[in-house]
Amino acid sequence: MSRAVLEVAQVSATYGRGAKERQVLAPTTFEISAGESIAVVGASGSGKTTLAEMVLGLRAPSSGRINVQGHEWAAPHKLVCTERRRLVQGVPQDPAAALVPRWTIRQSMAHAIARLLPGESAEHLIAQATELAHFDPALLGRRPSQLSGGQAQRAALARALAVRPAVLVADEPTSALDPQTACAVSADLLATIALSGVALLLVTHDPQLAARCSRTVRICAPTQSRLN
Amino acid sequence: MKNRRPGGRQNKLLSLVSRLLSGVVLLLIAGALPWLSRTDPAAAVLRARYAELEPTPEALAAIREQLGLDGGPLASSLRWWSAVLRGDLGNSWVSGAEIGPGVWQAVSVSATLTAFAIIVALLVTSCLIAPAAVRALRGLEHRGSGPVGVALTALPEFLLASILLVIVSVQLRWLPPYGWTGLETAILPALALGIPAGGLLGRLLADAISGAGEEPWVNVWRLAGAGAPVILSGVLRRAAATTIDQLGLVFIGLLGGAVAVEQVFAIPGLGRYLLGSANAQDIPALQAGVLLMAGAAVLIGTLTALARRWLRGGPLPPGSLPPAPEARGDGRIARFTAIITCSALLAILAFGLPRDPYAIEHQRLAAPSLFLPFGADSSGRDLLARVAHGTLGTITPAVLIVLCAIIIGLLLAVLGDISRGPAEIANATPPILAGVIIAALMGPSVGGAALAVLWVTWPPLTAHAASLIDEARAMGHIRWLPLAGMSRFEIFTRHILPATLPALLRHGMLRLPGVALALAALGFLGLGAQPPMPEWGLLLAEGIGYVERAPWTTLTPAIALVLTSVCAVAVAGMRRAPQKPVRAMAKTAEPAPAGISGA
Ligand SMILES: Nc1ncnc2c1ncn2[C@@H]1O[C@H](COP(=O)(O)OP(=O)(O)OP(=O)(O)O)[C@@H](O)[C@H]1O
Ligand SMILES: [Mg+2]
Repeated sequence: MSRAVLEVAQVSATYGRGAKERQVLAPTTFEISAGESIAVVGASGSGKTTLAEMVLGLRAPSSGRINVQGHEWAAPHKLVCTERRRLVQGVPQDPAAALVPRWTIRQSMAHAIARLLPGESAEHLIAQATELAHFDPALLGRRPSQLSGGQAQRAALARALAVRPAVLVADEPTSALDPQTACAVSADLLATIALSGVALLLVTHDPQLAARCSRTVRICAPTQSRLN
Repeated sequence: MKNRRPGGRQNKLLSLVSRLLSGVVLLLIAGALPWLSRTDPAAAVLRARYAELEPTPEALAAIREQLGLDGGPLASSLRWWSAVLRGDLGNSWVSGAEIGPGVWQAVSVSATLTAFAIIVALLVTSCLIAPAAVRALRGLEHRGSGPVGVALTALPEFLLASILLVIVSVQLRWLPPYGWTGLETAILPALALGIPAGGLLGRLLADAISGAGEEPWVNVWRLAGAGAPVILSGVLRRAAATTIDQLGLVFIGLLGGAVAVEQVFAIPGLGRYLLGSANAQDIPALQAGVLLMAGAAVLIGTLTALARRWLRGGPLPPGSLPPAPEARGDGRIARFTAIITCSALLAILAFGLPRDPYAIEHQRLAAPSLFLPFGADSSGRDLLARVAHGTLGTITPAVLIVLCAIIIGLLLAVLGDISRGPAEIANATPPILAGVIIAALMGPSVGGAALAVLWVTWPPLTAHAASLIDEARAMGHIRWLPLAGMSRFEIFTRHILPATLPALLRHGMLRLPGVALALAALGFLGLGAQPPMPEWGLLLAEGIGYVERAPWTTLTPAIALVLTSVCAVAVAGMRRAPQKPVRAMAKTAEPAPAGISGA
């Protein structure tokens, strides 16, 4: 693994402007290579979700740089990722966020494929992704509200994997599930990563889950941040 | 997606700039009104003053110079303002006489009338809030403000004035029907103006008092042994603090209502002065009247701001448009009333639309009969047909206005704080004042009246659209849509709009009756639809001259208007969930009851 898929260099984030400006993420640096999984841990409010949003390209950092596959992805106050959206996909804490409520799961996946991988066979990609995510293909015709929590989380994972990302960002993907389902879903998640060669950035509060990742990045209060 | 929510400082700056800019633009426009007039001002003066002169270019140029119109709109605007600052209001285009003395006399009449009206309003208010205050003092459960308050605000001023005129002056002959000659001529106008305002004030305050009475500190004070007067003054102050912005708007609404009332009772006040100069397209006189009325509005606004500072101990945070007054009441009764009034209107439509509203084929002022259910008007036209077609003639523009306001609201909501200044000014403009100015500039027309009503309809819809769009943008699945490769434009049109439009349309529909009444008020004053077009306000104005000989000419359009007014109030009350009233929510989404939106 010579080249990192995702490089996060001295990235920090602030909310507010002027006198109300407040740093919520201290400069953070780490890299992930293909097939690797990194656990991001830290106290509540330490900026984990903020970091995940910046890696996903939903928010611009206030300093630092993010590169994906060697290409510039985000610079201070600037997002340049629109061309290569496909490369970084995510599974949110609330799976409903990844799926449009009035669309079926199949429609959500097909819309994303049509935009991000034009020309590829949607049917084929959907079948592949549902298998990887252990999502029951019989449920593809349902809307998110008609799925259980575990099913919805797997649907969100399938939707993310359907466009063949290089990096998968999962922000506490199991915190809304009961312990048993959470265990099953996270085991599947790690297995899928190993199988598909995607790099995983996993935000979690669960030490056991973190221990099963390749490495752990600990985010502390917005004054320091160190790499284990 | 970045910079979606600009930080505080930029926000403040933007809305400050927007307010300052719109203030300056307003002042310049006021000064340049002669230039905005659709007719050539010089030609208008020539026609009015020297009917025998030919409108040759030389004659026109001479008049332009004489009027100080040479040099373009900016120059004449600045000249007008410098004259105003020296106390010179200019000369009338029609009579050539100085404007100052006449307009000041009109102001003094209007000020007296308004003072009487405020006394009436305060009496009505104290009657309405007394039960709520007693309940709050005794620590009893909150009740809605009740049917009395709703009934008092149901009729817009021009309608109440007409009804009082017909019943008290014409039928009972207790008081003189018009003029301004003594105390007895001031009673009816003061009632017509004061009752709706007092009803609205009372309802707002009674609800706020009930709300304040349920707050925990009242119990703490009671346990600490505070006496009734202490608790009462605390509750009153708290209630006034939460409603002060709306109270200010009610008083500004009085200025607009006064125009209609002065017209009905032929009182030589500022409102009638404005109407007269608008009809004569005497722009300098109009400018003076508008200036003084705007001055009164600014005075009220300043007093409101001072009162707010005193009550709340601080200035208003920037960028909080005062929410429109909201009604409360029993949801079920409101729904029932709304359905009944709507079906009555539909029945009028069903029976009247097939008939011809223009054909003169009956006896003049024929009495109602089986064949002619509403009777005939002064030219022998079928009144049922005219009222029914008038319903269409009033409701259709109202629907268009609401749809335009929704579109404008969406566009401006996307632009954000830039629209703050105009929105505040528009929100505080009485629709009648806007109607007077537009009619003076473009001549009276349905389109002009619609424009005037649109001007006061867009701000609340814009505020609502902005909050709905913010809400939609914060929804998880919309925030994550860029990950699916969607462009910002696509996200807006395919996901944010569908999430906001239904609520916005619903809000617009709730405002529909109020908008229709405002249009009818302008029609009644001759600022909107022109004869022989059937339009509610115009029909009422045409009928009122024959009220003694043929009361049905007035009654039938009045019935349609009363139905709409009641419907407006019922619809406004319908928004409350029947079980548990939610209190003190700063909602800009509630439609204003008929009382202040109408006139
Ligand atoms: N829109 C916002 N405006 C201002 N501050 C915000 C905003 N969103 C989050 N914050 C602040 O940023 C900090 C980091 O938030 P973030 O959501 O990244 O925390 P987190 O580490 O994910 O916490 P948790 O483990 O509870 O999910 C918090 O202190 C939070 O209060
Ligand atoms: Mg979080």
